[in-house]
Amino acid sequence: MKSKALKKEYGGRVVLDVPEMEFEKGRVYAVMGANGSGKTTFARELVSGGIEDKSVRTGYMPQKNYPFRMSVKKNVLLSGVSEEEADRLLSRLGMAQLAGENAKKLSGGETAKLALARILGKGFDLLILDEPTASMDVESTLESEKMIREYAEDKNAAVILITHSAGQAYRIADELIFLHKGMLFEKGPAKDTIDDPKTEEARKFISL
Amino acid sequence: MKTAIRKAISLILSKDAELLNVLGTTVRMSLSSSLVALLLGVPLGILLGTSRFRGKNVISVINRTFMAMPPVVCGLLFYILFSGVGPLRAFHLMYSVKLMILAQIALITPIVAGNMESFSASIAAPVMETAKGLGLKKGKTFLLLMNECVFQIFFAFLLAFSRAIAEVGAVSMVGGAIAWKTNVMTTSIMEYTNKGDMPRAMGLGIILMVIALIVNVITHAVEKKVAREK
Repeated sequence: MKSKALKKEYGGRVVLDVPEMEFEKGRVYAVMGANGSGKTTFARELVSGGIEDKSVRTGYMPQKNYPFRMSVKKNVLLSGVSEEEADRLLSRLGMAQLAGENAKKLSGGETAKLALARILGKGFDLLILDEPTASMDVESTLESEKMIREYAEDKNAAVILITHSAGQAYRIADELIFLHKGMLFEKGPAKDTIDDPKTEEARKFISL
Repeated sequence: MKTAIRKAISLILSKDAELLNVLGTTVRMSLSSSLVALLLGVPLGILLGTSRFRGKNVISVINRTFMAMPPVVCGLLFYILFSGVGPLRAFHLMYSVKLMILAQIALITPIVAGNMESFSASIAAPVMETAKGLGLKKGKTFLLLMNECVFQIFFAFLLAFSRAIAEVGAVSMVGGAIAWKTNVMTTSIMEYTNKGDMPRAMGLGIILMVIALIVNVITHAVEKKVAREK
């Protein structure tokens, strides 16, 4: 599937100006860049009609996870999964014992796990995850990465993963997109790009 | 003072017919106007808080202006419309409970709408972004939004009811404070005080304060429940 050339300005300042890009099903694309590099704007633009083919089912997990006022399990069931699948997703993220709890009572990390379980329950052609593991512990982060990778393969979906972690991109991404000041600076195989960034900006960011 | 309070309590306990009539009229008027204000104000507030459309800011500013409308101005407006020389005189609603309810609806609907607008605006963006990200349809998203607003709707109702039951300016102008017909607690307190019937005035005052206490106890309990959820 192909994204349109995306351009966004706020008050005359260009915050995003990227060319068309191709995303293949079954692959994970890591989007990296410093704060304010346009990663979230890129995600939001993709969700808001940024994909050329209108029939592409696009899912999006925002950076700020919102737990709806209902039980944790009911939150996951919103995605349309079966009860068994909801239990399985929660269990993998170590949330089985919290299934009946009010989602508003969860901690930040637990809310992030709930949001991930909720979005992974639904089948999309393109799934965009905005820093899904930012507030998770190491164990949950690694399990989440496995689940994201499996999602791309099992559901034959393209997954765009926004992350600040080069390690995470190295572990699960096929390709890496590096944004700087709203512009596309690099796009290539994740491992190669991390091992040998072509631009100074990417080199600086990844080496930190 | 003590004698007046003692007499007031004995009037309440003896189920004084006039007191009961005033209480019944007050509850009927306050509940009716609060419920209608809720039905009108909640959707309007949510619409203003969650949508973008042409003229939204104008409606929002007008609504906020009406939130600050003095009750006597509201009463005056309804008086001009429904009095013997007003354009709506054919409805024969002057000095009736129905017109008192209408005046109160005009007074408290903007308060409910303004309250809901502020709250829904604060949660609309994350709710709608999450729902859209999950691929949920507009109807389902609206239901989720309403579910998030449940406690706020309840607060809005209590706010509307408190305002309605304590209001005196508009209801006295359009209701005329007629004994056994349009007299409500606030107008009766004024009337009894002017007549020097302090026990009855105190009795109604006590009832009004007890109602205010009950409303506040419920509000506090709901607030605690909301805080526990967060």
